[in-house]
Amino acid sequence: MHLAGILGRRLGQIAVTVLVVAVLVFLLMRMLPGDPAIMLLGDRATDADIERLRAELRVDEPIAAQFGEFLLRMVTLHFGDSISMRIPVSRLILDRLPVTLMLTGMAAVLALLISVPLAFVAALRQGGWVDAAIRVFAQLSVSMPVFYIGLVLLITLAAGLRWFPVGGIGESFWEDLYYLFLPALTLALSLAAILLRNLRESLIEVMHAEYVGFATAKGLPHGLVLRRHVLRNAWVSTVTLLGLQIGSLVGGAVITETVFAIPGIGRLMIDSIFARDYAVVQGLTVVLAVMVSIVFLALDAIQAMLDPRLGT
Amino acid sequence: MKRRDILASAAALPFLSALSTPAYAAPRRGGTLVFARAMDCIFLDPTQTSQNADIWISLNLYDTLMQPTVDGQGLQPGLAESHEISDDGLTVTFKMRPGIKFADGSPIQVSDVKWSLDRARSKEDGGSFAFLLAAIGSIETVGTDTVILKMARPDPTILQAVATFNAGIMSEKLLMAAPGASMLEKAKAFADKPVGSGPFVLTSWRRNSEMVLSRNPHYWKKGEDGQPLPYLDAIRCVIIPDDATRILRLRAGEAHLTEFVPYARVNELKQVPGIKMVLFPASQVHYFALNNRPTLNDGTKNPLSDKKVRQALNYATNKQALIQVVTHGVATPSQSFMPMSTPLAYSNGPLYPYDLARAKKLLSESSYPGGFEVTCMALAGNADDAAKIAALQQMWAPLGVKVKIEQLESATRLAKYNNNDFQMRTSLWTNDINDPRQITSIMAYYPSRQSGRTGWNDARTNELFEMSEKELDVEKRRALYKEIQERFAEDAPFIFGMDVPYPIAMSDKVHDFVQIPLGNNIFVNTWLDA
Repeated sequence: MHLAGILGRRLGQIAVTVLVVAVLVFLLMRMLPGDPAIMLLGDRATDADIERLRAELRVDEPIAAQFGEFLLRMVTLHFGDSISMRIPVSRLILDRLPVTLMLTGMAAVLALLISVPLAFVAALRQGGWVDAAIRVFAQLSVSMPVFYIGLVLLITLAAGLRWFPVGGIGESFWEDLYYLFLPALTLALSLAAILLRNLRESLIEVMHAEYVGFATAKGLPHGLVLRRHVLRNAWVSTVTLLGLQIGSLVGGAVITETVFAIPGIGRLMIDSIFARDYAVVQGLTVVLAVMVSIVFLALDAIQAMLDPRLGT
Repeated sequence: MKRRDILASAAALPFLSALSTPAYAAPRRGGTLVFARAMDCIFLDPTQTSQNADIWISLNLYDTLMQPTVDGQGLQPGLAESHEISDDGLTVTFKMRPGIKFADGSPIQVSDVKWSLDRARSKEDGGSFAFLLAAIGSIETVGTDTVILKMARPDPTILQAVATFNAGIMSEKLLMAAPGASMLEKAKAFADKPVGSGPFVLTSWRRNSEMVLSRNPHYWKKGEDGQPLPYLDAIRCVIIPDDATRILRLRAGEAHLTEFVPYARVNELKQVPGIKMVLFPASQVHYFALNNRPTLNDGTKNPLSDKKVRQALNYATNKQALIQVVTHGVATPSQSFMPMSTPLAYSNGPLYPYDLARAKKLLSESSYPGGFEVTCMALAGNADDAAKIAALQQMWAPLGVKVKIEQLESATRLAKYNNNDFQMRTSLWTNDINDPRQITSIMAYYPSRQSGRTGWNDARTNELFEMSEKELDVEKRRALYKEIQERFAEDAPFIFGMDVPYPIAMSDKVHDFVQIPLGNNIFVNTWLDA
């Protein structure tokens, strides 16, 4: 098929996905007990206070009217004001999004930096004690909860050795790199473990493939065989896995951002769900759905490059 | 009779000196204090907020005509240097300090005072706390320094009310100049970058991340060195929801002060060199609200509607054990439904001291002598709630009362509670005003909120409360409140719990920080060692 055609079809799919996700979230939020007015007023509120605030926030309107307005907002990409923070949702998201993107981006890079060399070493030393040690590391990283890894790193490297700050973010890009290192490492560890196991398996499988034996028999240098024949073929499933893990990376960011006091969209999402801040949850969902769709799109492109057979 | 200047009560002095450094250390000027907070502010318009994170910071940004003293029991002059109340209680006259200014240097005029209080008491724009100023009929100004409140009815709490956060003085010109078509839109825009009359002014704000309050160079109050307060250059509030991380920040020297220290860690932090662990007396009570109605929302009969059952459960509750389990010993058993730091709180010793034999006897005389099952709502994931209910399960087992725990997240729990769809819940209250009126109106006076949603409706208590709202004489008011508290204790619509302090951990470089019983964080006198 023509490239423009593929792209157009994909963009259409993304639009439909985002719409479905947004509508689901709209309905789910309304199905939850409680509303933003009672959360804003808390235990001290009288019934009159609650009624007044409901009217002010317009959450007392019929669900159909709210849905109509929501659809209009979706189409015009105008997310309205946060109910609990009383500032525009777009401003909140733009404030927070770069932090989370940087955090998850750093985590993905760190995960690759950890998993690829270790997978190679483990695959080449398959069955040896190095391989066993690496597999134990992977097992530990994947089985420890993210918040626990985060706290351990905080207590040892930040509060104990004082190599890193105890949470928060910096004032500039370079400071952010320093501040986000520990949280990114926290997120990266469990992802690295998953990638490592997958890549190790693929590498071992590919290394035993006939075409690799043929390339080696041809007299190609060992390094070239590994790069051109082994890695390139072993990569495909790992890249797919990495893409599929982007969603859980964002999920992990929710916890990491809370432990490390990072003002990203993960924490914003949690705070907003608890506050029943419909506007923020809806806006964030749309942004996240678009982001994840774009990642999947990019993933397909990368896979097509790695394996031309997939490019249709 | 003229009443003038109710000044800081002497009781405040020993409390203050215990917290500050020895008298020879003169306060040092300058420095930025880093305050690790659990929650961020949401809406910095004093009339439009109802959450503690805003209320507790508000007095630093918006000064009031009168101010609470640090012991939380009395009042001292604020923007008004003096006041007079007429004998009939219908005219309250404030004389403003000369030369007072907002943080942008513009003068605070009597018109700003009138406008701020009119807004704070209005039904449309006054928010949830407008009721505190509801007795004012109209406000007049005379000349450039006099503001007169013409009362629609005498209000014994009017001075307390003008010392409360929602009566913070704002600049009419600045707020009305903010963009927006309606008052609410203007308030939203203004509250994003507020300029007020308090000792500090907001200079930067990244939501849920960091907020910087800088010294207001125009603040009126003078320090010990004769120069204007505050001593600090700035307060940097960093928002860290995780308890453990906040403490790590403090221990790593990256924060000077942190709030909501888990009680389980109070004793540990007391041992840490360089850290002062302070338990500030609080107007905070923990209790269990009971549904007193004969039937529950699902139609089943409710044993808690029987007074003898409620009394039995109260006697079977070992408050000291509860205090150990939840606060590791730092709280005191409740002596009234209101915290003992509330003015006019009445005590005849701890309520319902642990007495299992008496509990059993009362239950045997009730309509449920064999026991029953009761369901208690708890906040999901809250360790304190889980500990409290686990303790009750053990304490009440000898009566044959089985406690079922229902874990819910906050909004669901509130929604059910507001619909009276509960049998029992863990509850917590903090006063916002230095007077028994707020807590009594919410917890004991049925018409305003069905007595804290318990459904307890005592005609005599309702009548006593209405009388107290008009009573200007402190002693007569005290007697009315004594009877209300006695009736409440006797009928026991709650399981009474404990008065709990505010646990604050700070670097020993921090001096003269106070969290008053109402919760307000007072930084005006705070200073830092070099």
